[in-house]
Amino acid sequence: MVRLLYLLLLIFSAGVFSQNTATGPHIEVALVSEHNQLRAGETQWIGVLLTPDKDWHTYWLNPGDSGEAPTIQWYSDADIEFGDIHWPLPKPIQVAHLVNYGYEGATLLMVPINLKQATKERVSISANLSWLVCKEDCIPGWATLTIDLPVADSITPSEHSNLFEQTRLNLPKKHKDTAQFELTSTHLGLQTTLPYQSDWHVFPFRGDVIAHNADQAWAHQANSSQVVISLSDYFATPSEPLNFLVSDGKNGFYVEAIPNDTSSADNNSPSQSLWLMLLFAFIGGLILNIMPCVLPILSMKALSFAQSQKANHWGYPIGVLASFWLFASIILVLKEAGSAVGWGFHLQEPLLIAGLAFLFTFIAMMLWDLLPKGINLAGVGQSLTGESTFTQQFFTGVLAVIVASPCTAPFMATALGVAMISPMLDTLAIFTALAVGFALPMTLLSLSTRFAALLPKPGAWMQTFKHFLGFPMLATVVWLAWVFLSQTSSFGQLWLLSGLLGFTFFIWLSAKVNRVYCVMSLLLAMTFATFCSVKGTQATKVISEQKNNHFSAQKLTELRNNNHVVLVNMTADWCITCKVNEQVALNSADLQALLEDSKVDYLVGDWTNKNQAIYEYLEQYQRPGVPLYVVYAGNHSKQVLPQVLTPEIVINAIQQAKKEINHATSN
Amino acid sequence: MQRLTKWLMLSMLFAPLLSIAAAKVDTSAPDFKLQDSFGKTVSLSDFKGKYVVLEWTNHLCPYVVKHYGSDNMQSLQRQYTQKDVVWLSIISSAKGKQGHVSAQKANELTQKRSAAPSHVLFDEDGQVGRLYKAKTTPHMYIINPQGKLSYAGAIDSIKSANPADITKATNYVTAGLNNLLAGKPVTQKLTKPYGCSIKYKS
Repeated sequence: MVRLLYLLLLIFSAGVFSQNTATGPHIEVALVSEHNQLRAGETQWIGVLLTPDKDWHTYWLNPGDSGEAPTIQWYSDADIEFGDIHWPLPKPIQVAHLVNYGYEGATLLMVPINLKQATKERVSISANLSWLVCKEDCIPGWATLTIDLPVADSITPSEHSNLFEQTRLNLPKKHKDTAQFELTSTHLGLQTTLPYQSDWHVFPFRGDVIAHNADQAWAHQANSSQVVISLSDYFATPSEPLNFLVSDGKNGFYVEAIPNDTSSADNNSPSQSLWLMLLFAFIGGLILNIMPCVLPILSMKALSFAQSQKANHWGYPIGVLASFWLFASIILVLKEAGSAVGWGFHLQEPLLIAGLAFLFTFIAMMLWDLLPKGINLAGVGQSLTGESTFTQQFFTGVLAVIVASPCTAPFMATALGVAMISPMLDTLAIFTALAVGFALPMTLLSLSTRFAALLPKPGAWMQTFKHFLGFPMLATVVWLAWVFLSQTSSFGQLWLLSGLLGFTFFIWLSAKVNRVYCVMSLLLAMTFATFCSVKGTQATKVISEQKNNHFSAQKLTELRNNNHVVLVNMTADWCITCKVNEQVALNSADLQALLEDSKVDYLVGDWTNKNQAIYEYLEQYQRPGVPLYVVYAGNHSKQVLPQVLTPEIVINAIQQAKKEINHATSN
Repeated sequence: MQRLTKWLMLSMLFAPLLSIAAAKVDTSAPDFKLQDSFGKTVSLSDFKGKYVVLEWTNHLCPYVVKHYGSDNMQSLQRQYTQKDVVWLSIISSAKGKQGHVSAQKANELTQKRSAAPSHVLFDEDGQVGRLYKAKTTPHMYIINPQGKLSYAGAIDSIKSANPADITKATNYVTAGLNNLLAGKPVTQKLTKPYGCSIKYKS
């Protein structure tokens, strides 16, 4: 039998030379062209047509659990560029408990070609083809197929052109949206957008990613869909993006999935926004030069430069840079010290948002000259003239930063806010850009007095400009109040706005009264700000704990002490696996019915806004992140559920916990 | 300790799903008992203290033919059984499906192909194949003297039915066994197997 098979193969692989068709056991293969002629410089299509017998199949680029994809090697006597195979939509083919990906019936494997130059009248194209055709048994085959095509200026469709048209309808589309994948120890989670609801199936390009025979359970959200699939037995951690075809049998599209990086979920495109921040910091630095407390000095400086030609050019910018870096370092040290004692500086932290709202309001008041006079530092500026050695220029730079501080505060505060939530290097980069912007005009002046002409003249307009800048500051406050609302509640926002009102009032008052009263008034403003921020932040927790089943360690302990069954679900908005679990298992009717029981409680911890309480809880179970599901039987036992759930897993765990409690209480 | 409890709890949860723990590289290879082509009952545990190779086979599968037609598989069997390695060829083809053979036919095949396995074993109902998650013929496994699974996967690195590729490919069984026999760890412990699907009972 085997001998015969080889003999057959030998016969037809030798016999078909320079023919465009060949026949193997249970299959016919043919090399066909969409057009009867080739035209130089144009992309045209040729293809290998595989026609297996009824019930026999050939394979997709990833054949699945067994089998082998066809391969084509191209040869030609002319300079032709051959593209990759455009695979039509495959379908899963089940053989016992194994799954293959392939094609039943005639399949055209289309390849784009491009004849570079019309140097010949006829061109010969050959394909060294290998294939595997299977029903349950498999038969491999090899053949060399050849077609001859004339080269012409006009091309006409061939008898096969219809086949090409039909195959094109069956080709997957390239997907525009991005996809993300995440890995648990047993499963792959994939998130993408689907064009419409259908029976979608995921086909991986690589054979060692997912278990091909595993169920693919989808969960659908408003903007995205997620699927969780068992990992392949041969899975090794991928270092590259993973490529998939997603198909419902009629339509399909390719997705390239990148790792679902949870840190990037907080901040969508960090690199892009960093460039933008650097640009703003630079512009901010430039604007500092025309602030009322800087521009007059700068003009004097320009004059003195005009007088002494030999001034050192670099002392000033280096002095400015050094001061800004020192400031950045102090912030970084404070920030590190802060996080070491457990303060997180995340924009997700409502308290930080409230703090920023007060800061920006304060800056707006400063710009509108509503602060008590004592807070201004102006007047030191006179000493800024005349020096020309490096050291003197260096300290001029340092002094400029200090002197300018009443006006630089708005920009420094913004930079400070960004620094609090950015990585260390970004912080340094932002401060550097600010410093460069600040030092640039003076440095240019010292290089050439011609730049002095470009400098605007000091005048009353500076004051107007300064006052105008108060509005962007207040706009920021409006935005922060809106963010605060989404983090807390309308009640929390009321606390914040009331706090801002009281804060501004007391600061306004402090400028109207003298000495002791002024200090008292400022203290009152601070107290008011702190009290309202804290109150507003708490307003969230109280309300949401009543509404939802928000997780808190205290609540968990309480419920366990009362001998309740508690299901804890640690989740996050960006977690793909969590979403699938919630839709497939946790929202199932049977489980929901079980949760109605007054002795069964359900606590949800949301790790989207990373917080200390949930961090500690995850730490307790040695988990770096979510999902984490735990079922407690009072204080008697706890069960950590797998990361991928079915309704049965959760129901069984809860019922077992119930039994344990009944058993323990009856004893 | 906490981690251990976690795993215990996890495995307890999965226990109803899998009646017996499935094979996994670097863990204990699950024991099994099968009849050989001479009617003798053979258990994996009989060979404790020796290296054991499991070879899933189906003499009509073109990918098996690739390695037998070229004497590649038989020479591996001869080479390693001489070094006291136990070589078990397992047939999981169900009754009536391709590759299913009688004991007599199996012995004939061994003789005709000058094969040298320690035993040819029959797994008609596919239980052992499923236990080891064997998917293709050939699908190869190496078990160390302590009973741990040291390698699972393809016979070599080129997925084809073409015998000409054998010399160009890296043979994973040779690489694995040579490393183990020299007291070194196996570099590639898990690969995706290639070949025909095993003709399991549906």
